Amino acid sequence: MLTELLQGIEAGGFLVIQDSCSYSGRHLLKSFINAALNRAEVVHVLGFDVSEEELKDGLRTSDTQRLHIHSAYTDPLGWTERPAFTVHQFRLEDLTDLVKQTPHPKPATLIIDSLSWILRHVTPPAVCKTLHQLRKGGAVRAVIGLLHADMHQRGTVGSVCHLATSLIAVAPGAKGDEAVAKITKRSKFRKVMQDEEIFSLNGDFTVTIHSKRSNPEQNWNDAEEEQVDPTAELTFNLRLSDSELEAKKKLMLPFVFSKEKLATLSQPAFLK
Amino acid sequence: MAAPLSSVSKTSAERLPFNTTSFQKKTRSKLISIPGTRPSVQNGQLLVSTGVTSLDYLLGGGLAVGTVLLIEEDRYDSYSRMILKYFLAEGVVCQHELFVAAAQDNPDDIIQELPAPILDDVAIHKPVEQPRLPCEPPDNLDAMNIAWRYQNLPKVQSALASSSRFGHYYDVSKTMEPEIRQAAKFHRFYLPEHLAQPSTTHSPMLESYSALLKSLQEVIHKEGFDLAAPMSKSRNILRVGLHSLGSTLWGDDLSCHDNPKHRHALTTFLYGLRALMRSSLSVAVVTVPSHLIQDRALMGSITRLCDNAIALESFKGSERETNPLYKDYHGLLHVHQVPHLNCLASQLPDHKDLAFKLKRKQFSIERLHLPPDLSETVSRVSRGELAGATSACGSGTSGTKHLDF
Amino acid sequence: MFTELNSILNASPDSFTQGEFILVSDRQSDASFLIHHFLSFYLRARCRVCFLGLVQSFCHYNAVGQRLGVSLTQAKEKGQLIFLEGLKESLSILIPHENNTEHQAMNFLRDPAVGLRSLYEFVRSGLTGSGSSEEGAEEWGPPVLLVDDLSVLLSLGVGTGAVLDFSHYCRATACSQLQGNMVMLVRCNGDEEEDGDEGSEWLLKGLSHQCSLALHVQGLPTGYCKDIHGQVEVCWRMRQGDGQHTQKKLFQYKVHDKGASFFARGTSSAVL
Repeated sequence: MLTELLQGIEAGGFLVIQDSCSYSGRHLLKSFINAALNRAEVVHVLGFDVSEEELKDGLRTSDTQRLHIHSAYTDPLGWTERPAFTVHQFRLEDLTDLVKQTPHPKPATLIIDSLSWILRHVTPPAVCKTLHQLRKGGAVRAVIGLLHADMHQRGTVGSVCHLATSLIAVAPGAKGDEAVAKITKRSKFRKVMQDEEIFSLNGDFTVTIHSKRSNPEQNWNDAEEEQVDPTAELTFNLRLSDSELEAKKKLMLPFVFSKEKLATLSQPAFLK
Repeated sequence: MAAPLSSVSKTSAERLPFNTTSFQKKTRSKLISIPGTRPSVQNGQLLVSTGVTSLDYLLGGGLAVGTVLLIEEDRYDSYSRMILKYFLAEGVVCQHELFVAAAQDNPDDIIQELPAPILDDVAIHKPVEQPRLPCEPPDNLDAMNIAWRYQNLPKVQSALASSSRFGHYYDVSKTMEPEIRQAAKFHRFYLPEHLAQPSTTHSPMLESYSALLKSLQEVIHKEGFDLAAPMSKSRNILRVGLHSLGSTLWGDDLSCHDNPKHRHALTTFLYGLRALMRSSLSVAVVTVPSHLIQDRALMGSITRLCDNAIALESFKGSERETNPLYKDYHGLLHVHQVPHLNCLASQLPDHKDLAFKLKRKQFSIERLHLPPDLSETVSRVSRGELAGATSACGSGTSGTKHLDF
Repeated sequence: MFTELNSILNASPDSFTQGEFILVSDRQSDASFLIHHFLSFYLRARCRVCFLGLVQSFCHYNAVGQRLGVSLTQAKEKGQLIFLEGLKESLSILIPHENNTEHQAMNFLRDPAVGLRSLYEFVRSGLTGSGSSEEGAEEWGPPVLLVDDLSVLLSLGVGTGAVLDFSHYCRATACSQLQGNMVMLVRCNGDEEEDGDEGSEWLLKGLSHQCSLALHVQGLPTGYCKDIHGQVEVCWRMRQGDGQHTQKKLFQYKVHDKGASFFARGTSSAVL
């Protein structure tokens, strides 16, 4: 499913790449950018997290007319006199203006790196509303956003992902280069497809899929170890039956003194 | 700064470049020694005694001047208050100046409860005698008959001589004599006496803490404890005792709510206190009712803002009081933090399990050791008693399975 | 400067990676010895250093620096070191008097809701240096920012978002614009909190996303030991285009009088 997504997101689609501290989803994001550029699409990038140089590193920059990077990295809050793009400009009007600045016949794909930065300064309802309006409006064709899931409350992450048509959650894999992607895709007819794939990224940000797990539920069953029952094959009894318990209680231990013993001892045979 | 020994004598402007070693020869001129202090053997820090000799040992020889000791109170504030009184009593005996702040009890009452020192070399200040008329023969009942050669030597010193020892012992069953107590200079801050002034800033610090910080700074400036102040012949140490900060009587809701509104009031105050301590010849002991503070992360921040941190956990009222294992002790003592000022590594005590006992003449802290189990009978447990016990081995299912042998 | 740590990080005063954001964090231990290491390292490398010493006095850093072979007083006089002594400057703001000169950088103490913009302005002027170069002024290497530590800002009432913004701006200036380095210390408590967007754990996660090298210092999982003071986990977050692998290595360490020794797990000289 990952390759399908890389081949193109449907119009009006919203893809969220969820990552965490342990594995950064930015490289996968760059794969999507490269794939879009290869398809001769126009790409606008809102860069908050990393600098423009870092974003451009590895991308196909030969067609500079189609790739537009709006870097909000140096001054996202407007602390200097001439900010390029601030986080408060994340609104439908400003974004539409931004995209329309560079006229192209085709509607563009908007890449947001990262949604987490915006969510720290703009309330989640406002962000969700802007994203929804972007999708419905005609200015951009599709939106791809990077979200750091460990930076927000679960509800915030859930609300933003609820709007998404596709969701890729990446995590580090077992081996060094590999990573695991859990993909959820909602198609037009509200059908939900899920998949889990192991992939790795090559030098030019193309993706190599290593294996597919067609049935992710099976995987979870395997993960649970079978409960080994230690009492299965024993050579002794762990439990006593009731009659055995009674017998145990009645058992007279050798050196415990009792009336019967006294009677036995006072027999004339012993006194001699 | 926590004053290293040599810099006491110089202002920062005229300090010579440091040697590469930290060893300072005693023959350096201008070295002023302050009574009741001694340099640390580890890094030359100037140390004062807390009044409890075993606590001094745990903290690496004593409290470094310029640092703050945090005491997390025990549940009924009996032993933490005792340590605070030991600290202040030590200050009186060493002739340091005292600054006591409290919101609950009047600082005068705290001073009157100070324990009496067990000393043989501290003389009590006798009231100046009426000068005799020259015609009266200078005979008195104490005329010496046998040791008459020593008759004319001066009698017991009339001024309170400072004890040259580091760390003293106190008798908690007696309070300090008024003569000794009144010889010490004592500044007080009692919160109910201070009018609440509305704060002009949006600082997270409460008015009570701001007033306390301001009052402390004034004392430091006026009495000449500032390190930047011009050198006078005699320098002294200011001992600051702050009782039960963070409790509700200071106006703080830190101990009331899980999510306090004045979350950063105490931490901001402690930052200001650290700044004051580092820039003056003073040492502070702060007690905090940490058992009431629910937010562990906040307790962690409070601990990090103090240099030394210990916590007292008394057995009173808990099930451990009757536990025969703990009968030799009054409670547990935890050392949470020891500073490493002017050096890289800190010296945490070797043992983590420490217990304390307040005896009449000593507050002893020692490693907790359990007495040997000398019970005479080993009883056989019957089936009925086992039913309550959870099974330790095997199944992760219910614990009602029990073994019959 | 710890020689063993230099070899682990593959750095020396003559050659080190530029544009790095090094995050030092600790949990229930004290990682400030690493700050002293980096301070002496960059002073030896003849970099221009801007040091925000918020938790200790200048004498303390100077005394430790002496043991590690650098003199902070000399560096300050020569103009190599710009030092902000947080404790000293804070008093004039915490206890306001009529004619007090306040240091602008500590303005956040007066009203923490305002944020750390003035502190950032101080950092920026410290890193870029005075415009006019005096006669015979020495040329220093790339600028370096050191902060000890960020968690105390949280204790003083500054919001976690404001601290993240501050570190973002510092990184944009120090690492990206000036191609210098940045080292910041964050101190956390014992347990990792769940789900939240406040507190030092969240700050740590946000900074981990931003950093390029992370050093996590912790106590030993087996408990307190006199000879081994704890463990350090070194994480390299590679950003180059040649694949993505976050390399992690675990070491144990012991701090002694003039330095610290690092060794692989289980190879402490006390044990062998």
